[in-house]
Amino acid sequence: MKKTIPKIVLLAFAILVAYASCGGRTVSLSEVVVVPDQQITLDPTDGAWYAHPYHPAKLILQDMVEPRLLEPSTVEVEVTAMTDGKQIAFRLEWVDDSQNDLPGPQAFIDGCAIQLPTEESVSIPAPQMGEEHKAVDIAFWRADWQAIVDGRADEITSIYPNATVDHYPFDAESLKKDPDAKRRMEQRYAPARRLGNNRSGPRKVPVEDLRAEGPGTLSPAKTVSTGKGVRTEKGWSVVISRPVPGFLSKEKSSNIAFAIWQGANRETGARKMRTGWIPLVIRGAENE
Amino acid sequence: MARVNNWQLGREMSYWYPEERPNKQFAAVFDINKCIACQTCTLACKTTWTSGKGQEYMLWNNVETKPYGFYPLSWDLKLLEMLDGQEWSEDGGRYEGRTIFESAPAGERVLGWRPEDEDYSYPNVGEDDCAGQVDGGASIQMPHMAWFYYLARICNHCTYPACLSACPRGSIYKRPEDGIVLVDQGRCRGYQECVRGCPYKKVFYNAMTGTSEKCIGCFPKIEQGLQPQCFVNCIGKIRLAGWISKPGEERPDNPIDYLVRIKKIALPLFPQFGLEPNVYYIPPIHVPTSFTRQMFGPGVDAAIEAYKAAGAEGDDDLTGLLGLFGSTEEVLARWKRSGDTITGYNDKGEEAVSVPLREPVSIRPSYDKLYQITRVNCP
Repeated sequence: MKKTIPKIVLLAFAILVAYASCGGRTVSLSEVVVVPDQQITLDPTDGAWYAHPYHPAKLILQDMVEPRLLEPSTVEVEVTAMTDGKQIAFRLEWVDDSQNDLPGPQAFIDGCAIQLPTEESVSIPAPQMGEEHKAVDIAFWRADWQAIVDGRADEITSIYPNATVDHYPFDAESLKKDPDAKRRMEQRYAPARRLGNNRSGPRKVPVEDLRAEGPGTLSPAKTVSTGKGVRTEKGWSVVISRPVPGFLSKEKSSNIAFAIWQGANRETGARKMRTGWIPLVIRGAENE
Repeated sequence: MARVNNWQLGREMSYWYPEERPNKQFAAVFDINKCIACQTCTLACKTTWTSGKGQEYMLWNNVETKPYGFYPLSWDLKLLEMLDGQEWSEDGGRYEGRTIFESAPAGERVLGWRPEDEDYSYPNVGEDDCAGQVDGGASIQMPHMAWFYYLARICNHCTYPACLSACPRGSIYKRPEDGIVLVDQGRCRGYQECVRGCPYKKVFYNAMTGTSEKCIGCFPKIEQGLQPQCFVNCIGKIRLAGWISKPGEERPDNPIDYLVRIKKIALPLFPQFGLEPNVYYIPPIHVPTSFTRQMFGPGVDAAIEAYKAAGAEGDDDLTGLLGLFGSTEEVLARWKRSGDTITGYNDKGEEAVSVPLREPVSIRPSYDKLYQITRVNCP
């Protein structure tokens, strides 16, 4: 009779090997491990990130609600996390051949997001944007916002370098001495900015905080997150930092989910690659 | 998907939301035969609403030459090619094909497409280009052998808007008080699903604000009982704004009902798409109806006959009503003919304007006896 090694032993061995070494970095296959550190960094290229284990999160199609994404694009995002006790930072790295950070008709933007349960709904909301009375908090980074934060001018010529415009009403000579009147005139032709739509206008941080109770319910939330994204040889490397949620501690784990949008594949909104909930634990302090 | 009644198709159809008609529905009639493509409407809209950053390319109102003009490029041809079999019943009373809602592919709410950047780069493509050929010995006849016509377009403020249906987060709404369709600029997140969904391509993405924007039907004017900017600035007086009644509630003293539902001389633009658009066109009389039938539905031949008969056979009601186009800034809710006088009434039932059945015409003799000279009479 042929002897077989129990599957559980094989799995444990595989995890052990993977954890031990993977290209010089440790890998955590089953959970996102947040490592306590003296100081967190927003710089995705900081060597501190490489000292911590990463989780290769497999992405699946958002094919639950219309409009759906039916052809897979980004297959995996590598996640590394650290915390200084007050802030928790996640570094997301994924392969993307093209840099898409210029908006326009039929032009879509590279982006990524992290999703956590809210303080009130730690009992695991639906992974797809939460559900009614079980909200989720989302921090969303976009490549075009990063470009603006990095200094790209808020002008049409940033998008269309050869554009010429004869005249905007708010550039009238009579308004030059009255900045308030000029701003009011400018907002007449930009109602989204006038209404304070987070999506619109110059940005100070490349990350937007949102809350949702199911698909289609995404709403702006108070800005608490920040971040920074850079292009790498392979694609994007982005750090998103936010306050440590009250329900997450060394003693109490939680869950997290990720989403990636690839602009070149015309992914936007619900057309995205996403994960389900992944266990999130704080473990392995520097001085422990 | 819900089942809703689309009177323009003569049948029920599938739609993302249940049927919920507004209390009043903004509607308009454009007489194509009177449009000269001066683009005054386009500029009136442009200077009023879309002079901001990111709006440079937007034409909420545009006038394009058919058959070769488009804005954006090939906006109608692309969808017509995507939409299978667009047959109507033999009597024209029922659409037998599928709408863009019924043809939605897997994973989508509507059948649609998004224009590329370049598709917006040629707003005057095909301008004044003729279709057809004039061979030796040809003479002017009806319909013309060589033809084109001008198609002025705004948002159709559809009863079943595809933009509204396509928006996954409910950022587009139809106002119950007037049926005007708006993008909530505070809620929109710029996914461009509405741009993709609208078959008329009358929603535009603003790269500077990160939101989509569209014709707002000049609702601040509508709320004051006034017609939109593109209507009142039309020098050809081709447009009339008003209200269309719910199916089965049409009234002959409502100018839009009279033209659309009673006389049936004004027809929807591509009714087969299934949106129940609320801008109606009096089709061009000089164009082969093999072309216009696809654009305005099977009622084209009858509409042209009725339109031509208004003058030729002395249909004073219809002739008189056409005289109210461009006669006042007020929205006309009712109208009446008394002898040779046509009167339009506003929403309050007050007289807004009166026009003669026929404008008085005087022809000056070419020879001026007083000064003993001959003059050329120019129209």
